[in-house]
This record gives sequence, C-alpha cells and structure tokens, in this order.
Amino acid sequence: MNTTHALRAVRRTLLPALSLAALCAAVATAQAADIDVSDARLSILPGDTPGAGYFTLHNASDETISLVGAESPAFEAVEVHESMEHDGMMHMHELEAVEVEPGASIEFAPKGHHLMLMRRTQEVNVGDEVDVTLRFADDTTLPVTFDVVSPTAL
Amino acid sequence: MRRLWLPIVATLCLAGCSDDPSWRTTDITEIMPPLDFALIDDDGEAVTAEAYRGKTTLVYFGYTQCPDVCPITLARLGSVINQLDEDVRDEVQVLFVSVDPGRDTPEVLKRYVGAFGPEFTGLTGEREDIDALTNRYRIAYEYEEPNEYGDYIVNHSSAIFAFDEEGHAQFLARDSHSPQDILGDLRTLISKS
Ligand SMILES: [Cu+2]
Repeated sequence: MNTTHALRAVRRTLLPALSLAALCAAVATAQAADIDVSDARLSILPGDTPGAGYFTLHNASDETISLVGAESPAFEAVEVHESMEHDGMMHMHELEAVEVEPGASIEFAPKGHHLMLMRRTQEVNVGDEVDVTLRFADDTTLPVTFDVVSPTAL
Repeated sequence: MRRLWLPIVATLCLAGCSDDPSWRTTDITEIMPPLDFALIDDDGEAVTAEAYRGKTTLVYFGYTQCPDVCPITLARLGSVINQLDEDVRDEVQVLFVSVDPGRDTPEVLKRYVGAFGPEFTGLTGEREDIDALTNRYRIAYEYEEPNEYGDYIVNHSSAIFAFDEEGHAQFLARDSHSPQDILGDLRTLISKS
C-alpha cells in the first residue's frame, strides 16, 4: 500500500465521515509506514551559524517520492541542499526536489545532500532533540526527530 | 645473494627519501611560496604570518555560515590531529581563514573555531588582505546572490595547505584525499622538523 493510493482511498470512501483532524492522522500513519527515516542528526556549532541535517531516507512504497522541503519550529528557514566539489571549489546549492525511487534509499550525509537549517528561533544545543517536518511533492509530510550533535561527532 | 639485495635497496630508499618525502597528498614544495599574510586574529589583534612560525601549520579557507563542508572539514582535521601522538600534538596548528569578513568578526570566529580544539585559530581581515593571501595560493572564492534574509552562500576552495615550522609550503590536500592520507603526511612533516 503506498502513500498516494492510501490517501486517495481515504478521501473517496471516508472523507464525508471523517473530520479533518482524523484525516490528517490517517495520512500521517500511512506515510510513516511507507517512508522510513533513520539516523537523523542535526550538526550544530555555537553561535547563530546554520545547522546541517543528515539522515537516511528509505522509500518503502511502490511509487517514486519527491522530497521538496522541510520546516522546523526551531529554525526560521530550512532548505534542501547539496554540496559538491568542482574544479577544486566546494559549491553548495539549494535543490527544488530530491526523488527517491520505490525500494531505494538516499543518504543525506556530510559533504553531500543535507538540510540547511537557518536562523534559530530558540536555543539549540548539542544533546537536544529538534523536530523537523519533511514535505513531499504530493503535499504529504513526515515528522522526524533529529538528535543535535557536534560536527566533531560525525 | 638474492636475499641480501632487498634490505640494501630498502635502506637506500629510506635514506634517499627522507629529505624529499613523497606525499600521499599533493607536493607543493616547489610551486607555492612561503606563508605570508597580514590579518586579524580571533582576539581582534593584527597579526602576520611570522607569529605562526615554529609549528607545523595547516591553512584552510572557509566561512562560518557554511553549515556542511567547513564544519566537517575542520572536524576531520581535528580528529586527524587527535590521532597524533600526544607529545607532538601541540606542534601543530590550524589557521581557518575567513573568506567572508563581512559576517566573520573575530568574536564570531573565536566561538566557531573553539568547537574544534585548542589547535584552531580563526583569521579574518580586510578583503584586500584576504585576497592577497588567496591570490598568493591561487585559490578562488565567490559570493552568491543574497536570499530574502540577506543570507548568502560563499563557494570556496576545498584545499588544505600544509607548511613546515618555517612557513615553507609542503603539501596540499583536496576534498578527495582521505583523513588517513592527511594524517600520514602530517606525521611525515612533523618528523622532518
Ligand atoms: Cu547547505
């Protein structure tokens, strides 16, 4: 059962009978089963420097999913980024979408794909947990808890 | 007869190679000039390269608003240094030169490099003084357009330059070189001096 089909099925058969809140809960449950995020770490340094989010995302559904953004109550802005070396220069740029095929995994890892979390709205220290919501192209979302770590621990 | 040759050849090579180590990373002894700059340190003091003579010195260019590449590079350098024998660890220093002096004040730099260990010093300064140093080592950096918050990305060199205790250029490590290669070359460089 994949996310999109689950969502459509819920809408078609149950929508009239369900409140919006119940619908949201149903969607979240369906998604958590289909997209598995593990090893979520948020690398942070003292000061108001941006953090980097690393994790492994596995697409257990039978449709391609597309990560298009993220939000966190602890930061004003979160972007999906990629670092790469080109002719001896390190480049970093924002990605509009990251697609993951059915059954495939993608690693957000140092010096590659990462979430860039900018402008802290609250204190964030090593040892804390930070909630981040991943957003996909079909408008569904996935809440993920990140462990805050120092880059020296990566 | 045959058996005798191997140890002799090995001995000759050890003797012959010690003056001219073949680095695992890139040799820059002939192509890069000695370390020379006039910048501001992370205590806000005007400093020149002479102040950093006497230790094996690694130099890396970056900026503190860099979330991924710079912290990971510095953290890996820190872990390389921690793998050195304790008695030589304080013969090594890392200079993190900001290519973003507009945001990287001495205070910001001090807090930032402090997370990586006592061997790390942040340097900033006037753009023309920083450019004199980046031009000297033929490295580039470029600013991207600021976003709605005024934040901007700085693309910058991945090079880590190593100098001996007299400030002579020794080797250059790229992102493609492993921490083990850097550790090996660092040990070679320290044992030379
Ligand atoms: Cu980034």
